[in-house]
Amino acid sequence: MLKINNLKAGIEDNQILRGINLEIKAGEVHAIMGPNGSGKSTLASVIAGKEEYEVEGGSIDFEGVDLLDLTPEERAHKGVFLSFQYPVEIPGISVSNFIKTSINERRKAAGLESMTAKNLLKMLKEKMELLSIDKGYLSRNMNEGFSGGEKKRNEIFQMAMLEPKLSILDETDSGLDIDALRIVANGVNKLRTKDNATIVITHYQRLLDYIIPDFVHVLYKGKIVKSGGKELALELEEKGYDWITKESDKQWA
Amino acid sequence: MGLINNIKSYSETISLSTEKKGLLNSFLENGFPTIKDEDWKYTSLKRIISEDFSIEKNGNDIDASEISKHSLSFKNQLIFVDGELISSPQIKGVTISGYADFESRNNDAIMNLNASLCKNGFSISVAKNTVVEQVIEILFFTTTENNFSQYRNQIIVGENSEIKFVEKIQNLNNSTSFVNYFTQINCDKNTNVEFNKIQNNTSNSILIDNVDVYQKDNSNCDVNTLIFGGNFTRNNLNFEQNGNNCESNMNGVSVLDDNQFADNHTFVDHKSAHCRSNEMYKGVYLGKSKGVFNGKIMVRPDAQKIDAFQSNNNLLLSEDSTIDSKPQLEIYADDVKCSHGCTIGQLDDEALFYMRSRGIGVEEAKAVLTYAFASEAIDNISVSEVRLVAQKLLADKLNVDLDFSL
Ligand SMILES: Nc1ncnc2c1ncn2[C@@H]1O[C@H](COP(=O)(O)OP(=O)(O)O)[C@@H](O)[C@H]1O
Ligand SMILES: [Mg+2]
Repeated sequence: MLKINNLKAGIEDNQILRGINLEIKAGEVHAIMGPNGSGKSTLASVIAGKEEYEVEGGSIDFEGVDLLDLTPEERAHKGVFLSFQYPVEIPGISVSNFIKTSINERRKAAGLESMTAKNLLKMLKEKMELLSIDKGYLSRNMNEGFSGGEKKRNEIFQMAMLEPKLSILDETDSGLDIDALRIVANGVNKLRTKDNATIVITHYQRLLDYIIPDFVHVLYKGKIVKSGGKELALELEEKGYDWITKESDKQWA
Repeated sequence: MGLINNIKSYSETISLSTEKKGLLNSFLENGFPTIKDEDWKYTSLKRIISEDFSIEKNGNDIDASEISKHSLSFKNQLIFVDGELISSPQIKGVTISGYADFESRNNDAIMNLNASLCKNGFSISVAKNTVVEQVIEILFFTTTENNFSQYRNQIIVGENSEIKFVEKIQNLNNSTSFVNYFTQINCDKNTNVEFNKIQNNTSNSILIDNVDVYQKDNSNCDVNTLIFGGNFTRNNLNFEQNGNNCESNMNGVSVLDDNQFADNHTFVDHKSAHCRSNEMYKGVYLGKSKGVFNGKIMVRPDAQKIDAFQSNNNLLLSEDSTIDSKPQLEIYADDVKCSHGCTIGQLDDEALFYMRSRGIGVEEAKAVLTYAFASEAIDNISVSEVRLVAQKLLADKLNVDLDFSL
């Protein structure tokens, strides 16, 4: 589904991603871990199409097209979804109106009619139940005054509504208490199918107890320095990152 | 040549009272205001008044389809064509007639010109204890080419009464039209009045719109101004509070592009105690458009316990657009709450990316953010039809097919 090949990107003179290679197949869950500042969010943003980052080389093949040739909205239309580490507040637009617009813009791009109000409401209700979200929340302004946890839940709610093929969850666990974490993780698991894939970015093992990854990658200084199965996350939990980062620093020196 | 000469020639063809002659002479002596006048510093009439307008000429008949195309389809409509009142509704407790002479208390050059030569307009009087449920729609059509016309209207709302208006001035040809317009609104005790202005005229229309509101105790008056069209618009909106516990509300939304110009000058004169005023003006500027906002708040010595709020927020969506914004506070009472703020900004890139990552196209995302920006003022309008028109005009102006309501 996704094949990232030697991706290099940065801002101005600062190269942040220094040659990323990653392949993800439909149905898989990949965890990307790594210390703060290693480039995890940058990778997520570059996949989603944030123009602030300059791509210096490489490709991001997604189902046969290079995402780098597409605008952020075109990537979303193809089924790429990013759950933001820091979701943005948009005063003046209600959650329901925002989601309605997102869904209909996607349908428009696919040559479909707008979703009927009835179907939309039905779907909203279903997904709200899945994520234990109460009703009053739909009329609140998008992320405005939301707590950290509410923002994260709102991200997963949008993911549930948009039914993406590739979901990238950037530190979705931060800001969630243990109950909310369970609900959100359970939601993510329920949304998993053999046709979609998930990238879970986190620097704690905790989330991975609930969303079990098929592969774990460690990103450090803009490179994937180690990959393994789910037991790698446990090892990292136990030993920290030092043993990997020191090794890499030695190699690069 | 030029507007002043044409006005002079026109005035010689009609008979005027001594008083009106006096007003006219004082206008002719000084002419139109120039950028040397403090109140017109950013707003030049020079180009406009050099044009060769005809004055108050009659034009053509128009048919019903033309009217419905430009109306919001309210049941109660007051319709003018080239100054002539052609339709007026029957409403219990409301007396409506054509132009009736009355004095204005403001006498700058523009108002003197209006007071001396104007002979068209309406007079609406609402009896005591009358709640008019249905909105009154007032439509002014111009069919004459290159015409200068004036209207002078008076609204008197009796004690304990309520009424709402929507007003549009519409030019029906592609020529330049210039309207100098004045409405005086008198709100008696315990009244509730809302006046909505949809300024969406053709791209070469010129408008000077003067509104004076006089309020007595416990009255509440809202004037909402939505500017989407026109070439040049100057609004002079003045509130005078002459009673305790009054509330004056102003909401403004300007969305301009190309070479459009719009200037909102507001003045709230707090003369009595325990009153409030709220003004919220939102400006969105595209292309080479230019906006001016000047909000003056005067709190007189006896006007204690005043709560006056003013905000003017602007979005500059192009490199070539500009805004001049100026608050003017004169406070002579000591126990008052007065706040004002002005912001000038661009759309938030983070928010744009966030929306685009959800599949919302860049133009649509900009439109949604722009709507979100303006909605704070739009949402204060109580007439849902007006809110819908504002949403639609905003979407049109930003070239997107989006429905902002849900
Ligand atoms: N917009 C930006 N401007 C400047 N530097 C940035 C920007 N985004 C990321 N960086 C830098 O790139 C590095 C990686 O950041 P980030 O991708 O957020 O790391 P992570 O998500 O792994 O904590 C950091 O050193 C950070 O300061
Ligand atoms: Mg991060």
